[in-house]
Parts: sequence; structure tokens; C-alpha cells
Amino acid sequence: MKPLSPPSLKPEIQPRSGLAHGTDLFVRHCLPCLFVLLVTLVLSAPLNIPGQAELMPAIVQVSVFLWSVFRPALMPSVAVFGLGMCVDLLSFDPPGVMLLVLLVVHGVGLSGRYVLARLNVFVLWLVFGVVMVMATAMQWVLCSALALHLVETVPFMFECVLAFGSFPVLYVIFVWTYRFIVNDANRA
Amino acid sequence: MVMPVSIQSRQAMGKLVLPFLILVACGVILLGKADRPLVEHMRMQVADLLAPAYGLVAWPQARLRELSGNLQDIRNLEAENIRLRTENANLQHWYDVAAALADENATLKANLHWIPDEAPSYVTGRVVRDTSGLYARAVLLAINPDTNVRKDGIALDGAGLAGRVTEVGKRSARVLLITDSSSRLPVTLESSHAAAIMAGDNSSTPKIIYYPQDNLPVEGERVVTNGEIESLPAGLPVGHVHYLRPGTPVVIPAAALEHLDILRIFNYSDAVVPPDAPGRIPLPTVGRTMTLPPQFQPKRG
Repeated sequence: MKPLSPPSLKPEIQPRSGLAHGTDLFVRHCLPCLFVLLVTLVLSAPLNIPGQAELMPAIVQVSVFLWSVFRPALMPSVAVFGLGMCVDLLSFDPPGVMLLVLLVVHGVGLSGRYVLARLNVFVLWLVFGVVMVMATAMQWVLCSALALHLVETVPFMFECVLAFGSFPVLYVIFVWTYRFIVNDANRA
Repeated sequence: MVMPVSIQSRQAMGKLVLPFLILVACGVILLGKADRPLVEHMRMQVADLLAPAYGLVAWPQARLRELSGNLQDIRNLEAENIRLRTENANLQHWYDVAAALADENATLKANLHWIPDEAPSYVTGRVVRDTSGLYARAVLLAINPDTNVRKDGIALDGAGLAGRVTEVGKRSARVLLITDSSSRLPVTLESSHAAAIMAGDNSSTPKIIYYPQDNLPVEGERVVTNGEIESLPAGLPVGHVHYLRPGTPVVIPAAALEHLDILRIFNYSDAVVPPDAPGRIPLPTVGRTMTLPPQFQPKRG
């Protein structure tokens, strides 16, 4: 008598799990963090783009938020910490502020992911806007407190608006990366 | 050795990671506030590490900018050429004039057994404060204690006469500008060859007074000092004539008196020493009665 076995959820033909396959999977899973790291490095270079100093934290925050909401396994807290340290080392803001803000954005995305991941994109965009306003306000308060006087608000507002505006573009990049690079590995 | 951990405790630890990291981030903020040099040092090290990569980014930018600059130059080449040609013709003319004048000057000096002027000694100082008020135009100059700056030194900036030293302190000297209302300087108007007095009136343009009525100052002519005062040699550039209204000629100073930065103080006071002239009656100083030498005094008794 043949013992009852559950039907296999995975296709029968699988690539052999060798070193090459492991490396491939690893690189695919590291891609979100690598993308953020690359953005940080490229935007800290002297490219002379107007608004470059504000663009870098904006893109980093959007990316961290998106991956924390949809695939937190690929954007773990420790990785966010490491990325925050990188951003801090490459910028000239008071040390630690951007790190803390990034961790808070990550935490908000992580804790609300069961609600946020099911939302319509446009609603998610709005929610992200609210999160960004609060994160930027926190950043401004921290910077002012550390500098012992009220710092100018315009760069922070600019950063907030940039993050809000770059959300759709980064969402498209995120969806593309998720579908064709990260998820492809799981399907293969 | 890996400690076996139950699923529950692993989940609990997983939930604790984020709060722990946030605490560490707060610690980083405090550390950055407490030990700023450490953070700066780390940032500089990261920047040093990335400097070659940044150089790679900057290099094509510089090349591109150079290329676009070159293209722009090529586009402007025609107009530039025309401008340069006219300027060259103009300069050639002036070169001829200068060469002719230099020749003439050399001949004249050779014929006259000209004694060349002694080069005056000077010190250069930075203007530290503009002490001008409503009623005075003066600046304060920082000087070294052991430099030789004396009262009546002549202050010039790069373009012309600025004023005279009126007080000398240990580390500073006060320079009364030519625009001050107490400044009166004998000047020569260069093309009409007239002597006049330039009188400051606290405005930016000193007046010209006592000029000959049959030889009026010409608009735009150069104004130079004349050698009437011992401490002020002839020929220092002062400015040029301008008529504010008909009948009121003023001098527009060549020196940038509104924003003086660096002044040179020349010492001319001992350049000209009048020789003894026996038998000549010395002029009395102003405000004293004249006393005749003993041989001319009327005999009494």
C-alpha cells in the first residue's frame, strides 16, 4: 500500500542547489539593500545635481518604506541600521539623526504592513506622505535640538516633497525588481 | 557551538531587534554630540576611501564643461577676432606713442643732466576700520609697532591719493581722507596747467576752489598733486575733474575711498631738505609776528 503523501507545492524540476545557485539566490535577495546602498554612494558623489543633498535621504526613505511594507525579509532591521550608518557617514548632518529616522520609517512600515500592503497604491502614497511629514518633522526637531537653535525649515520641507514626489517612480522600480528579479528566484 | 533556541524565544528576540536598534541609534546621536571629532574623523576616512571614485565622477564633468566652453569659444571666435584686431590697432598706436615719448624723455634727461628722484620708502597696511562719521572722513590703519610710519605720511591706494596720516598710535594710524571737510590740498590740473586747491566737504567728491578764472578746469582732465607742501611730492594722481553744475567743478577721486582695503603709506617728509640760505629772510610761521634778523633790526638808543 502506497503511503499518503501531501502534494508537493513546488514544481518537480528544480535547479540543483549548488554554489552557483546559492550565490544567485543570495544576490537576488540582497538586491534591495544593494540598490539603496548604490543610491547612497552615487548621490553622495559630486554630481552637481540641484537638490542632491535632499534627494539622497528621500530616495533611501521611500525604498526602505516600500520594502519594509511588502517584503520585510529582504529589508531586515539590521540592514536598515547598516544603511542608516552609511547615509550618516556620507552626509554632513548631525550624526545619528538620519539613522534614527530611517529606523522609525522602517518600524512604521513593518508594524503596519498587514494593513498597508493591502491598500490601493494611491492610498498607500497618501499614507506614505503622512509618514514622511512626521519623519521630516522629527528630523527637524532633532537637528534643532542638537544645534541648540531653530534650523531652517526649507531644506526639510524640500526633502519631504522630494520623497513624496519620487514615490511613484520608486514604486514602479520596486514592482519591477520584485516581479522579475527577486520573485523570479522563488519561482524558478 | 550554537545554542538551541526555541521558536517562541526566537520570535521574541526578533521583535526586540528593532527597539534595540533604535536605542543604539539614540546612543549614536549622543555619541556624535559628545565626541564630534571622532565622527568627523570617521567621515573623513570614508570620504578618503571614496575619493578616487569621486574623482572618476568629477573627471568627465570637468571634460564636458571644458568641451562646452571650447564650443562656445568657437562660436564667439568671429566677434572675438574683430574685437581683438581693433584693440590691437589701438594698442599699436599707443605703443608707438609710448616709444616716442620714452625716446624723447631719455634725450631730454640726458641733455638736462637729470637727477633721478629717490625712490620713496613705504609700508603697506590693512584698513581695519572706517572711522568716518557724519562729520569726518577717516580710516584706521593697522601697522606694525616697529614700522616707520610718521605723521604727515601720504596714504595711497592702488589707484591714487587717499589721504594723509594725522595720528600715529602704537599699532594703528589714523588716515584723514581727502574727502574730509578739513582737508585742503594744493593740486595741479594737468591739461589746463592751472593750480588750485582741492577742498574736502565730507561728500564723496571734494570741491576745486581758488582756480584761475581765466583758465577754467576742463571736464575730465586729470588732477595731480603739486609740490607746494614739503611732505607731498608733485605728480601723485588724485582723480579727475567733473562738473556737478556749471561753475562747481569737483574732483572724482581715483582712489576707491568708499571701500578702502589696503593702503600704502609713503614717507616723503625728509625727501626735500631746504639748504641754508644765508641772507634770506625766513618766512614767519602763521600766527606769529615777523622778527627781523639782528642786522636788520633798527638800532635803538
